[in-house]
Amino acid sequence: MNPSSIPVPDTPDSLPFDLMRVPGLGHLFRWRYARPLLQAPLLVLSVVMILHGLFGPTLAPKNLATTLSWLHFRGVLVLVLLCAGNFFCLACPFMLVRQAARRFFKPRFNWPRALRNKWLSVGLFVLILFTYELFDLWSSPWWTAWLIVAYFLSVLVVDGFFKHASFCKFVCPIGQFNFVASTLSPFEVKVREQDVCTRCHTKDCIRGRREPISDLVTIRGCELALFQPSKVGNMDCTFCLDCVHACPHDNIGILSRLPASELMVDPLRSGIGYFSRRKDLTALVIVFTFGALLNAFGMVSPVYAVEAWLGRMLHVSHEAPVLGSIFTFFLIVEPVLLLGLAAWLTRVWAHSPRALLPLAVRYTYGLVPLGFGMWLAHYCFHFLTGLYTLIPVTQNAIASLGRPFLGEPRWTLTGLPANVVQVVEIGFLVLGFAGSLVVIHGLAEDDCPDKPLRAFLPWAMVCLVLWCASLWLMFQPMEMRVMLMSG
Amino acid sequence: MLQLGCSRSDAPSAFVAIEHEISPEPIRVGSATIALKLSDATGKPVTGAHIVIETDMSHAGMSPGFAEAKEVEAGHYKAQLEFQMAGDWVILLHVTLADGTKLERQIDVRGVLPK
Repeated sequence: MNPSSIPVPDTPDSLPFDLMRVPGLGHLFRWRYARPLLQAPLLVLSVVMILHGLFGPTLAPKNLATTLSWLHFRGVLVLVLLCAGNFFCLACPFMLVRQAARRFFKPRFNWPRALRNKWLSVGLFVLILFTYELFDLWSSPWWTAWLIVAYFLSVLVVDGFFKHASFCKFVCPIGQFNFVASTLSPFEVKVREQDVCTRCHTKDCIRGRREPISDLVTIRGCELALFQPSKVGNMDCTFCLDCVHACPHDNIGILSRLPASELMVDPLRSGIGYFSRRKDLTALVIVFTFGALLNAFGMVSPVYAVEAWLGRMLHVSHEAPVLGSIFTFFLIVEPVLLLGLAAWLTRVWAHSPRALLPLAVRYTYGLVPLGFGMWLAHYCFHFLTGLYTLIPVTQNAIASLGRPFLGEPRWTLTGLPANVVQVVEIGFLVLGFAGSLVVIHGLAEDDCPDKPLRAFLPWAMVCLVLWCASLWLMFQPMEMRVMLMSG
Repeated sequence: MLQLGCSRSDAPSAFVAIEHEISPEPIRVGSATIALKLSDATGKPVTGAHIVIETDMSHAGMSPGFAEAKEVEAGHYKAQLEFQMAGDWVILLHVTLADGTKLERQIDVRGVLPK
């Protein structure tokens, strides 16, 4: 499928819905200080989490750092990504601190050419998943607080030295998660009318709006090198709205679109290139998808049996090498086997002209909905079953200051019953599975128009295997231990 | 298992040793009994204490459980606990001695097994 084959709405009735046209909301987003306004509360919350994590109760269920990070933030994040778009990056508190710091330290360097890809952020994404399991971050307010501090410091160091939004585009693991997940979001920052852009000579959306004489930038253009007229989809878009503010023609909106549609096409994308040529992006999608299962596997009972068995096989008592083996299997061996086999079958059955690796790269994007379904199911389980725990934890935090004006902690408040949440989880998994099948079918039709079913089947089988594994994981008894092994 | 410690007050009379035992062993999801033995610095049983037992999981998102321990004989207390989920638990003992002195103890319970 090429971009021209995407149905283009041509009647007023089928025009995409534009969030920027919503009274109030549109005014807010057009306001130059909308972003700081949204970032400020999250910055305050981050500081509270750091302080409570370092100086508050050491028990995770009673601490704001762990409760907010591992229950509420993650749950709200995936739900906002599913229902709207990458609005967390818009309200990212780290960027507010960076902006403040850049008033004093102007970055002088360009991000190294060799690192202008996702490999570093893929590694950091894996590292976060690994340390989460190894150091049991979910059970440690202290480590959680330091993780937030480390994030702030990393932003300051990277964007203190390097120009533009180097941290967001090339480093931030949360950002990469958001970029991949937002390919399934129903909204996208996009030009309203291409003709207007064609007639535009200033290109302020990328260059920034400048003073006529001094040529000083007064309103920033896109720091992630996404040129709006040729931007496709949400990949790498932080919803920062710099382009909206810079555009002199008010031609950029937050438009509705068919979720996942950007995964079925392979045009040249501004700031990204072709999806089908980006092995680093494919690796990111693999970590996103297989990491979703791995992350859930880490909280169910069978993981302990596997760890014990691996420990005996490897003759080690420390957790790190055992976890390393599990990560290697889930994130390298399993994807190579499954995707390699599917690519080979696609070549044999559908006589696809592509070589194995390009085939695997192309179709792997079809796994994004499946992976996101698993993240949704996992994070929403914790979020919904612990939804109200924020109330007693906050009451407790305030009471510990000696002024219990919110009353004594009501520890009986928890969240929705697990059996209700399980239905929601299954719904997300089904949605993800169906989404992946649709995307893969679209790719197969484009790749092998004569035999789309033959190209579709191997990848549908991969999806089925992963989906069954996801369902199995969801029905395992949850078991979270701090010390897995004696090391 | 033995837990020793002092109260947060400086009163020397507040030194209390707390021994505990949870049964059945190994601990599985469901009900369990905790037996506590309180003794002072000279080894005499500490009687008349009011003990509230709080059970927490090691991760966020679970409400704590609360139980009161009953004194079954001099210095010996028992309570029923409910472990709702497999994994690591933390038991907090909120002890109020007969003279009003308050003590806090933490007992880590590793690896409660599934049913």
